[in-house]
Amino acid sequence: MSAKIVHPRLLLSASRLVSINRPSRIISSLTAHVSTRGLASVATADASPRVAAKPRIKTFEIYRWNPDTPQKKPEMVKYDLDLNQTGPMVLDALIRIKNEIDSTLTFRRSCREGICGSCAMNIDGVNTLACLCRISDESSGATKIYPLPHTYVVKDLIPDLTQFYKQYRSIKPYLQRKDPPTGKEVLQSIADRKKLDGLYECILCACCSTSCPSYWWNSAEYLGPAVLLQSYRWLADSRDQFKEERKQQLENEMSLYRCHTIMNCARTCPKGLNPGLAIAQIKKEMAFSG
Amino acid sequence: MFSLRPMQAAFKLAARQPFPFVTTARTTALKASSTYQTRYAATTSTDPAEAVSAEQAQAILKEQRLKRPVSPHLSIYQPQLTWYLSSLNRLTGVALSGGTYLFALGYLASPYLGWHLESATLAAAFGALPLAAKLGVKAVVAAPFSFHCWNGIRHLVWDTGKFLDLKGVYATGYTVLGLTALTTVGLVLM
Repeated sequence: MSAKIVHPRLLLSASRLVSINRPSRIISSLTAHVSTRGLASVATADASPRVAAKPRIKTFEIYRWNPDTPQKKPEMVKYDLDLNQTGPMVLDALIRIKNEIDSTLTFRRSCREGICGSCAMNIDGVNTLACLCRISDESSGATKIYPLPHTYVVKDLIPDLTQFYKQYRSIKPYLQRKDPPTGKEVLQSIADRKKLDGLYECILCACCSTSCPSYWWNSAEYLGPAVLLQSYRWLADSRDQFKEERKQQLENEMSLYRCHTIMNCARTCPKGLNPGLAIAQIKKEMAFSG
Repeated sequence: MFSLRPMQAAFKLAARQPFPFVTTARTTALKASSTYQTRYAATTSTDPAEAVSAEQAQAILKEQRLKRPVSPHLSIYQPQLTWYLSSLNRLTGVALSGGTYLFALGYLASPYLGWHLESATLAAAFGALPLAAKLGVKAVVAAPFSFHCWNGIRHLVWDTGKFLDLKGVYATGYTVLGLTALTTVGLVLM
């Protein structure tokens, strides 16, 4: 059928002459042939129905605990989802479970693209971001989802990160200068700026700190890989002039030296950073000039 | 997106409170500061019967915090070369030192307890064992010793900053395991 594209306005006024519910086929006595693509197309009767794909059912076992019934111990609850209807990432599954099966499931989430760090949790034994973790095949058994290890649980998958943030504040994560401000930018060479690569990208998701057994046993006094990585980020910044004071703050048994190079941190970082290496650099600096 | 500052200033000038607005000691103090963010929708209950002071809120939070469980850790964390070898290092270290201390104490106490822990007696007793038992005892001592030695060197290398990326950790890890196996076999057959 030859079709001529007609301006949508004309289409609308023309369709008022015929019922708007019927597929629009303007008879030639009124106007020229109209392209039906201007309106939503209706499937023709002889079109074969789309074959429904066989559902791929995946079980999710999720840690649940409700602070409204604190005497009830935390438990693992199973949820089944058809992977054909679910997005590829674990966060998609969690959102679907919350929307369609159990709306009391509680978890943090925001950007859904691995940059905010909200959805950090333990999936199949590994600390990672739910929005970046692909759901494994339905043939590989249930996926177990826990909150970040050895943290106080506020509800379901939400950890209390207050102490983590306090520790981050304690290292003074901002530029400190002794020279009076000149009103001009503090310059930095390209080589010096390169030293910050692999340090500034940290999104403070707490995956690494909560993967560190040393931090599990000593979270009150040991700063943990995330905070120490940021501590090194400021130590390594050529523009910062409070290096000695920053090093002095780490000059005790617990803040830095509880690190035993277990390296779970580098293994688990969802952004591919290496806190263990940064901590080793701090230790070297402390040893050779502290 | 327009700046919020002029809008805030305008409202302050008008000295109007947005509805609904909960007045607590904290909000009154904060309103004076220029960084206070005015919220035009309530984020907590506006029922005056439910009003809670800042101190009360802290007390409630403290109560809640006392009831919170600790999320599981060792029981659920995925076995990985990183922390498995690290725990093995610590375990073998404790076993080797502990064993040495125990033997030393036993040796000191042996005259008073009637034991015979001199080298000659131990060597004779060991020689009398069947071959399988001899090899077994040697393996049980040689394996932790070799692993701890090689892993110790791995730690010293790490302290220089080398091989501290993920690839290096795994490569050195498997190397240590391989060397441990070879050394154990070597020591057992000596």
